[in-house]
Amino acid sequence: MCDIIIQTNVLAVKMLTGKICRFGKGAVVKMISYVTESMSIMDKLGILSDAAKYDVACTSSGVDRKGNGKDMGNCAAGGICHSFSADGRCISLLKILFTNQCIYDCKYCINRKSNDVPRAAFTPDEVCELTMNFYKRNYIEGLFLSSGILHSPDYTMELIYQTLYKLRYQYHFQGYIHVKGIPGADPMLIQKTGYLADRMSINLELPTADGLRKLAPNKHRKNILAPMRQIQLGIQQGKDELMIYRKAPNFVPAGQSTQMIIGATPETDYQIMSVAQGLYDNFSLKRVFYSAYVGINEDKELPALTTATPLLREHRLYQADWLLRFYHFKAEELLSEKRPNFNVLLDPKCDWALQHLEQFPVEVNRADYQTLLRVPGIGVKSAQRICGARRSARLTFEDLKKLGVVLKRALYFITCSGKMMYRTKIEEDYITRNLLYQHERLPFDRDGMTYKQLTLFDDAQENVPLFATGGGR
Amino acid sequence: MEEYVLICEDSIDGILTGIYEAYAYKKAHNIDSHDRIHIYAGEPGTYRLFTTYEHIETQQDKVSKVSDTLQRELGQEVYYFLCLAMSSYCEDKADAVYHTVVSGLKHHDKNVFARLAEDAVSRAFSYARGANNELLHLKGFLRFQELENGILYAKIAPKNHILNFLMPHFADRFPAEDFVIFDERRMLFALHAKHKQWYNYSLAEGVFDEANLVFSEEEQAYQELFRHFVDKIAIEERNNLSLQQNNLPLRFRPYMCEFGKSVVIK
Repeated sequence: MCDIIIQTNVLAVKMLTGKICRFGKGAVVKMISYVTESMSIMDKLGILSDAAKYDVACTSSGVDRKGNGKDMGNCAAGGICHSFSADGRCISLLKILFTNQCIYDCKYCINRKSNDVPRAAFTPDEVCELTMNFYKRNYIEGLFLSSGILHSPDYTMELIYQTLYKLRYQYHFQGYIHVKGIPGADPMLIQKTGYLADRMSINLELPTADGLRKLAPNKHRKNILAPMRQIQLGIQQGKDELMIYRKAPNFVPAGQSTQMIIGATPETDYQIMSVAQGLYDNFSLKRVFYSAYVGINEDKELPALTTATPLLREHRLYQADWLLRFYHFKAEELLSEKRPNFNVLLDPKCDWALQHLEQFPVEVNRADYQTLLRVPGIGVKSAQRICGARRSARLTFEDLKKLGVVLKRALYFITCSGKMMYRTKIEEDYITRNLLYQHERLPFDRDGMTYKQLTLFDDAQENVPLFATGGGR
Repeated sequence: MEEYVLICEDSIDGILTGIYEAYAYKKAHNIDSHDRIHIYAGEPGTYRLFTTYEHIETQQDKVSKVSDTLQRELGQEVYYFLCLAMSSYCEDKADAVYHTVVSGLKHHDKNVFARLAEDAVSRAFSYARGANNELLHLKGFLRFQELENGILYAKIAPKNHILNFLMPHFADRFPAEDFVIFDERRMLFALHAKHKQWYNYSLAEGVFDEANLVFSEEEQAYQELFRHFVDKIAIEERNNLSLQQNNLPLRFRPYMCEFGKSVVIK
């Protein structure tokens, strides 16, 4: 621990001296705008939250921890959103990078070493002060700490560990902490950090190893999956120990998550969903996040900067992700080698139902919970409510409406006491036409980013020519 | 057929007394069904013909009798949910809660809120859910400001009367802080002194003047830092103000520092 502090001091001295020149290969002098100590906390926060914003996860869920009666902080299992930014995403955690200096050169990343962007670094104390003061004012639910790779993965992970240690044991913070595991860092450091954090995540970055090799040459699939497995085993072991010793330390109690970038490489939706399913099944992840690729860097390996952000595709992937996690669907049911991408016009569940009309209509008063879940327009909550309410009464369409069922979608697929709501044909074309007529409500509809604008680029199939010719100019 | 309406005070205690009196009233007047008795929290806007109106005084012993029975017969969870429904701003909440209780006690059903096909239950359920949603919102959207003397001060104006549901959450979260939450609509304070039990305090209008509050030196700096953070964390390419508004309705924003123009919100 001690030598790291000395090293950070060396860093501070380096920072003090202002700009440092770095010599690249072939004696090309590259100026990297280095951190200066004179930078105000406001500037640092600006740079380092700006650099962290592409990280998707901002959830504070998964752990229910009551306050201990003397220190500040508790955690709510459902998570709490404290604000919403202009892009409509929730702000739950103070999402920052420890530093945006990085020795890696991942093509898609704003903080890659070849980018000339202002660089900054927090000190552990600054992070702690900010977290405590924001938390006290109820701005945030906790801290989300990630970092660029400074010097080496070990060095960076040690810095993160130091910060968390300070926050938990000097500042006595009991709120939520989400921390990024740095691939390639010493397993011991990951282990130690895991005992301080609530959730850990290691970014998968790209859905396939091929994509990773192409766009993130410094990262290796193996180095990403190894700590993921380590955390998974750690969580399991922690649970086993808790069964025996009540006071065993809690290792990553809120589980681990990961994220991958969608639309930077030509994977199909089917490939992506299969990867996600594999992660849920084999690595017991809590969440997989999908991040629609936002063009920041110009590179011949990347889609052109003018490519629209594939928001609709991301939306469909999240919808399908929910189907995997809460609706007992399998990736193979939703997509196949032959139909590798989601329908642009219909959500995955409607799409599935239309392909399987032989299973409908379903009698609401009798069908089991699993079957109800598969009906478009019936969600987890309404399915639960139906199961509760039909014990004491025979449900009618009027009741279903009150229970929260979206009848305009469900009416083609259900009967109440043997009757359908209207005279409808159970025919794929007929239902599709009627469903499309109602216009699905998309979260990004009103600002003009409808599928009509996106169809050109949101389909990986159509993206293939872009990559083949090397989209960048 | 003649109907009976009991008018009680608009508070949880008031409604609980109302429920006690309704049962007593049914017995005393030999009324055949609870359906003919209604409870109103606060004066009704319109009075109907062929209806007997009666005013009820809130009485603590009756409150505790009813609340004990409800907790025993229906369970803690249902009781909490009923309390949420009773703190709703909707007019006929008292009646919905009363008939839900009747149904629950009649069927000895600890899962009474599953009987959503019943009209009263579904109304009570939706009121409770509405209040609970606002409670969840405010757990996140409430903003404390630090006063000069270190006390944290927050102002809210919720539609539903959820101040007392909010307090346990913050008391658990900040056990070692002095803080005050002020419900502007109801002129009601909830105070928490460090390591002490929290309590309510109400003031007559005009007694409390916010202009007299002196904020700490750091307060302004942290508000600016947070505003800067909220600004920077948004991805420009994905700007979506309507989604933001769906998630964070405008009525909360005047009380949140990141949306305020002035530096210290008053």
